[in-house]
Amino acid sequence: MAKKFVAVILSAMMVMSCIAACSSDDKDSDSGDSAGSGDAIQDLIDSTDGTVKLTVWASEEDQELTKTLIDGFKAEYPDVSFDITVEACSESTAKDTVLTDISAAADVFAFADDQINELVRAGALLEVTDSYTFNVSEENLAGSVEAATVDGKLYAYPMTADNGYFLYYDSNVYSESDVESLDAMMAAAAADGSKIGMCVSDAWYLYSFFKGAGFDLGLADDGVTNTCNWNEEGGTDVAQAIIDLCTSGTFVNAGDDAGIMTGVNDGVYSAVVSGMWNAQAIEAAYGDGYAATKLPTFTLNGEQVQMSSFSGYKLIGVNAMSAQAGWATLLAEYLTNEQSQVTRFETRGLGPSNINASASDAVQSNPAIAALAAQAAYATPQRVGGNYWAPAASLGSILAAGNPDNTALQTLLDECVAGIEAAVI
Amino acid sequence: MEKRRHISVVIKHILLAVLALIWLIPIIWLIVTSFKLDTGISVSKFFPEKWSAHNFVDLFKDTKYTTDGIMKYKIWFKNTFIIAVFTCLISTTFVLMVSYALSFCRFKGRRFIMNISMILNMFPGVLSMVVIYFLMKALDLTQSHIGMIIVYSAGSGLGYLIVKGYMDTISTSIREAAIIDGCSEAGIFFRVVLPLCKPIIVYQVISSFLMPWGDFVFAKLILGTNSSKWTLAIGLYNMLDKSRLNAHFTHFCAGGLLVSIPISILFLIMQKYYVEGITSGSSKE
Repeated sequence: MAKKFVAVILSAMMVMSCIAACSSDDKDSDSGDSAGSGDAIQDLIDSTDGTVKLTVWASEEDQELTKTLIDGFKAEYPDVSFDITVEACSESTAKDTVLTDISAAADVFAFADDQINELVRAGALLEVTDSYTFNVSEENLAGSVEAATVDGKLYAYPMTADNGYFLYYDSNVYSESDVESLDAMMAAAAADGSKIGMCVSDAWYLYSFFKGAGFDLGLADDGVTNTCNWNEEGGTDVAQAIIDLCTSGTFVNAGDDAGIMTGVNDGVYSAVVSGMWNAQAIEAAYGDGYAATKLPTFTLNGEQVQMSSFSGYKLIGVNAMSAQAGWATLLAEYLTNEQSQVTRFETRGLGPSNINASASDAVQSNPAIAALAAQAAYATPQRVGGNYWAPAASLGSILAAGNPDNTALQTLLDECVAGIEAAVI
Repeated sequence: MEKRRHISVVIKHILLAVLALIWLIPIIWLIVTSFKLDTGISVSKFFPEKWSAHNFVDLFKDTKYTTDGIMKYKIWFKNTFIIAVFTCLISTTFVLMVSYALSFCRFKGRRFIMNISMILNMFPGVLSMVVIYFLMKALDLTQSHIGMIIVYSAGSGLGYLIVKGYMDTISTSIREAAIIDGCSEAGIFFRVVLPLCKPIIVYQVISSFLMPWGDFVFAKLILGTNSSKWTLAIGLYNMLDKSRLNAHFTHFCAGGLLVSIPISILFLIMQKYYVEGITSGSSKE
């Protein structure tokens, strides 16, 4: 008897939560249609009564900055009463947190651009159709706009252009002409008795060789399966080039980030391929020799080939289920406008995606950001499905170990591509 | 002959010592890393070059990291402790009540209830994760500690099996003697059965107290993004984000080490009763 009662209560509760979810959906579609002219803001203010309640998710490191920026946002609209909460959610895991329950996610949230496909497919992002204050596509770097675009539609506001990898080096060991090519670097490193570190067995970095040699890796039309042509003609030459590098003794597979930082701190690596997140630690280790630049070239069939890379951006998205879509959009614009990006660079040292902000002298004189900008010409946004990482990482480990089993390189590549292109269940 | 036995004992002990060392290496590494002066991860040396206790001090200081939500160790510790204490009280009570009823009372459907609850308990808890989340949301108990306590303790009665097994070993003649002496059902439970069950109560208290310290899945799901509500498991994991590893890895180690303190204290206090309960042996057949 009691069990039946519990069952009834439970099912009633489920039904109620469904109804609640549906009714909030209806509200969204009403507030979503706002025009894109200067009067739009006035319309928005006029149509708002009561307190505007918004939740913002920003990374832990960004909490203070975001709160400061939001104070500025509130000051722009003194007639409206706001209740804006800032909570902590790392950009690298935002997708998981948002997709747990989109209706409970923040109205405005920051995320890394590699998560955009899944967020869009789950219907979590409001498309950027009109803007209130500035033209998002024109004021931001082309790469960052591309990263915020899915199927030709813009879904997010570029916030930073600082994710990706490039070359850090000790200028006491390498001259500016040395860092042009890996061959020259290896000669300089051998003379110095130090080594060059890169996470060859990490799929994220392994990409730079194959893409640099002109091979492609991307998403199929379904948006989840990968397409990859690394096993086509010439692919084995790239694999051989990687083996040659890794068996040279001066170019070393560091394995993972911990390996990179251990090597740098111990003075073993006089140059490493890494990203912004290690900038301060590497600067502390290299001291006055600290320098950074684009990735070098590597030798492929006797020719010099520029290494490519994944470029990453941090974006701000508006929740498609936000009850205050208009204000959420306006806030997302404010958090990513030129002035906010300049402030973000000044307080956090993050590279701006805004064209004007990134052209400033202050930004250009930061070695790591300048290196990332130089590498941007050879970088592509990270658009790969989940099946890429494991097969490519295992290929990387085999090549980094010098192909110990002497498997035919073509077989290795075929197996790797089969794994990368495997259907997503 | 005697000599050969000595040799075999020595070999066995050496083998055991080596195994013990292998087993202890990760723990020793955690301890020495938490006393490292340099922040960040380094895998080239087992023992740090410079020692310092600053990681522990940092955890309890109010800094920018505290307001940012990267290192609210004090708050997380308090949250976890509160949740653990209540979970421990509620679920121990539940388990004892269920076990007593199923072990000593005879009623219609007893066997059926036992079977059903045993089968239900065999499903891993995470299977019901999504449903639990939406139930909690409907009741507005997400991002709340009450919600966490409910999640951890509500179904605990199903884990009656071990405690009931222990109660089954208590002779029914003790219960009958109590009834003849005019003891009520509650009296039997509190004055006769509970004192005899001390060891298993200790086991139950420790295992239910441990749950919130180690659980990540439910805590992450229910507590979400409000870093002031987090438990230690989520907070510590959050320190391992790629962008923070260089600054906070040693803090993570120190924080992980400190988690063992409340659990060790509880065990030390409880151990007395644990041993006492086993040795006192009051059943006189």
